[in-house]
Amino acid sequence: MTNPNGIVTQGQFSFLPALTDAQITAQIKYALGKGWALSVEYTDDPHPRNTYWEMFGAPMFDLKDPAGILMEINNCRKTFPHHYIRVMAFSSVRGVESPTMSYIVNRPKHEPGFGLVRQETDGRNIRYTIHAYATDKPEGERY
Amino acid sequence: MSSNETMQEGKERYKAGVLPYKKMGYWQPDYQVKDTDLLAMFRITPQPGSDPEEVAAAVAGESSTATWTVVWTDRLTACELYRAKAYRVDPVPNTGEGTKTEAQYFAYIAYELDLFEGGSIANLTASIIGNVFGMKAVKALRLEDMRIPVAYLKTFQGPATGVIVERERLDKFGRPLLGATTKPKLGLSGRNYGRVVYEGLKGGLDFMKDDENINSQAFMHWRDRFLYCMDAVNKASAATGEVKGHYLNVTAGTMEEMYRRAEFAKELGSVIIMIDLVIGYTAIQSMALWARQNDMILHLHRAGNSTYSRQKNHGMNFRVICKWMRMAGVDHIHAGTVVGKLEGDPAMIKGFYDTLLDDHTPQNLAHGLFFEQDWASLNKCMPVASGGIHAGQMHQLLTYLGDDVVLQFGGGTIGHPQGIQAGAVANRVALEAMVLARNEGRDIWNEGPQILQDAAKWCGPLRAAIDTWKDISFNYESTDTADFVPTATTSF
Amino acid sequence: MATKSDKIDMQALLEASHINEVLDKLDQDLVGLVPVKQRMREIAAYLLITKARLQLGIEAAKPSLHMCFTGNPGTGKTTVALKMADILHRLGYIRQNHVVSVTRDDLVGQYIGHTAPKTKEVIKKAMGGVLFIDEAYYLYKPENERDYGQESIEILLQTMENHRDDLVVILAGYQDRMGTFFKSNPGMSSRIAHHIDFPDYDENELLEIANMMSADMHYNLDSGAEKAMQDYILKRKQQPHFANARSIRNALDRARLRQANRLFNDAIKHKKDTTAADLSLITAADIRASRVFSGGLDGESDVKKT
Repeated sequence: MTNPNGIVTQGQFSFLPALTDAQITAQIKYALGKGWALSVEYTDDPHPRNTYWEMFGAPMFDLKDPAGILMEINNCRKTFPHHYIRVMAFSSVRGVESPTMSYIVNRPKHEPGFGLVRQETDGRNIRYTIHAYATDKPEGERY
Repeated sequence: MSSNETMQEGKERYKAGVLPYKKMGYWQPDYQVKDTDLLAMFRITPQPGSDPEEVAAAVAGESSTATWTVVWTDRLTACELYRAKAYRVDPVPNTGEGTKTEAQYFAYIAYELDLFEGGSIANLTASIIGNVFGMKAVKALRLEDMRIPVAYLKTFQGPATGVIVERERLDKFGRPLLGATTKPKLGLSGRNYGRVVYEGLKGGLDFMKDDENINSQAFMHWRDRFLYCMDAVNKASAATGEVKGHYLNVTAGTMEEMYRRAEFAKELGSVIIMIDLVIGYTAIQSMALWARQNDMILHLHRAGNSTYSRQKNHGMNFRVICKWMRMAGVDHIHAGTVVGKLEGDPAMIKGFYDTLLDDHTPQNLAHGLFFEQDWASLNKCMPVASGGIHAGQMHQLLTYLGDDVVLQFGGGTIGHPQGIQAGAVANRVALEAMVLARNEGRDIWNEGPQILQDAAKWCGPLRAAIDTWKDISFNYESTDTADFVPTATTSF
Repeated sequence: MATKSDKIDMQALLEASHINEVLDKLDQDLVGLVPVKQRMREIAAYLLITKARLQLGIEAAKPSLHMCFTGNPGTGKTTVALKMADILHRLGYIRQNHVVSVTRDDLVGQYIGHTAPKTKEVIKKAMGGVLFIDEAYYLYKPENERDYGQESIEILLQTMENHRDDLVVILAGYQDRMGTFFKSNPGMSSRIAHHIDFPDYDENELLEIANMMSADMHYNLDSGAEKAMQDYILKRKQQPHFANARSIRNALDRARLRQANRLFNDAIKHKKDTTAADLSLITAADIRASRVFSGGLDGESDVKKT
């Protein structure tokens, strides 16, 4: 990819060097301290509007210590070493009831990125389609 | 009270002629405020020698049922209900004798809910600020705060999208959003303008933005701007894998033209459009309805507000605008930066942000919040911090403004010595490093400069940004400040 | 703390951890259990010394801390596990002062693919603290080779090995059955660092427990009731399913019911006022009405937790 980082920049911390397990643990601790549930999700389709990544198990509620979540992150990394993996936090507070954190903790070595398909329509109008090169291949064989 | 007495009293009260407002029933110190009352608090500066209670009653009268003389036609109505009631007058701390400021008073007025048409900011404002600001009895008058009853709030749509859904649509959580206003704001052709948008977004910003006075001028007509900007947005989105946006300003001379521009923005796939405060309350409400109907985030630039919100003794406080705009239904509103080039005392700005974002705002005199306000589940409105801010202030911005805010670094991005992309990188790295550190439990207020220095060790663009703007700050004294320091709230 | 890297101020280390307070409180709160208290002191001392060795770099990795508590029901295993978690937490061996207490049903599923998620769920909840598995031998059912318990045991073993820093597992149950379990599961046995055996209480200790429990519930036994309780203990110990302190608690619970019934009937029949003292007093009659005295069993089995 040609952006300054050369990688997909979704999530809270994509502009920083890849987080260490200690840094990830600190972020999980922050989320647990707020009473948020955490979940680990993975995908091999990083399209910006691909909302539903696969859940690596249901969101984890009522945990007290980050180690359990880090264990799941590492299990997910072991199972899907070449997928994008993100950690998400969810708040159940009235008025939020939505994700409150999202950051990538694993990504493919090589990220081919996206093509922009321009469909010329009426007048000078253009309809745009963002196409992930990876999705040219079937699921599971993309990276 | 016997019917005879009532008759006598009625006769006396409605005798033709002029009666003090206090005597007409607009001053009721024993009045018990109802949950359904709309409350307003005015700062009044009476003409020298006037009775502040009489002036408060006059404001109540003129903003509800009264006119300068007694009219018998009152008696055909439930006029006692419709009369606004001034129920409390307090001297403003640090004004009057022995101070440099002439005497001012806080006047609290209660309005019956039936006085207002549902879902109409125009009607609400015509009542509350329609007539009274020119009254001779007041030397100066300022609307400081309002308590909107839940029943009335429920007649408004509220923000078309709201903070929560905006984040879900953009897939951006747990950090402030980053934006920049395209500069120079005037003179660029559509093609050149789109270049700035592309560079900023590809470099790492979430949003780029039109400025308030970019509409459709000779150097760039609106359709050109929209077409080039959307190519830039989509290209940047493909280059980064992130959802990106550009606030396309649809402000125009007529509603018809604004709708036309908004429709075109939608057709091109924009996630967000923009309007200016100067289009007026009704136009804003109409655009909010349109935005809800068309899955569009609605950004409001507060163009013009300082003409009436800045001076402390006259006009209206910006927090009232915040309330009205949340009701009117905008998703973004410029609400101050604390540290940038535009007016803003930290405590006051905290009050604006709370007004826009809270489910329930408690009374907080130190933040200028005079009333408790239940927001009746109205969506939250995202505050926007814009004007003279740069990456080197990130720790201050995050501390003061929190996560739910759009940080707009216009000059701080486009003026970067290594280019626009580098400027965007510097801002995004500074932001992410600061959020990471805060979440790790570090004291970013004090360690902030060090955190930025550490990130600058591996991030050249941030290094350059810090070196370029290290000494820039705008330390002027604010004009709109709290009348109450946190310890002085005992009298309330 | 140490001024040089080859010295360490043990006194300061001890004081900072406040473990003496925990051990003293253990002495006060728990009746009897002298060998258990002795083992707790030994383990605490060992943990403290190990901490010092870690700080000086003599020891490189944290030791395995998984434990096994054996003894009959009602001998204080759960209570002591809570105290142990407190000590481990104060010395920095676990991050959270919490104990997640489970049995086979919480770990093992009903069908294929059910067990691993269940066990992992429990492990994740316990992470950072102590996982207390009561009657752990039920995880292993040799008579059924397709039993899912084995799957749970394997996940537990893996976690006990790979997450020593994150989790301390305490297995608990009857001594003899635990012995059999370890024989069939040598992997489990080899990962247990500390064994504590919990003896049964003698009659005097049980009476003391009865008095303490009553006081905790704001009741008291008059001298007749105390004598009745002594007799009750002697008889109940001879019966099956005797569960030490738990049997005493159950007996007291039933005595409270009888007391309430007695006071209620008194108030209705004799129309007399009831004093605060009456409300707090358990008499001989309240205890002697138990079926234990007429040769029967008193209520349900005490072994089953209520």
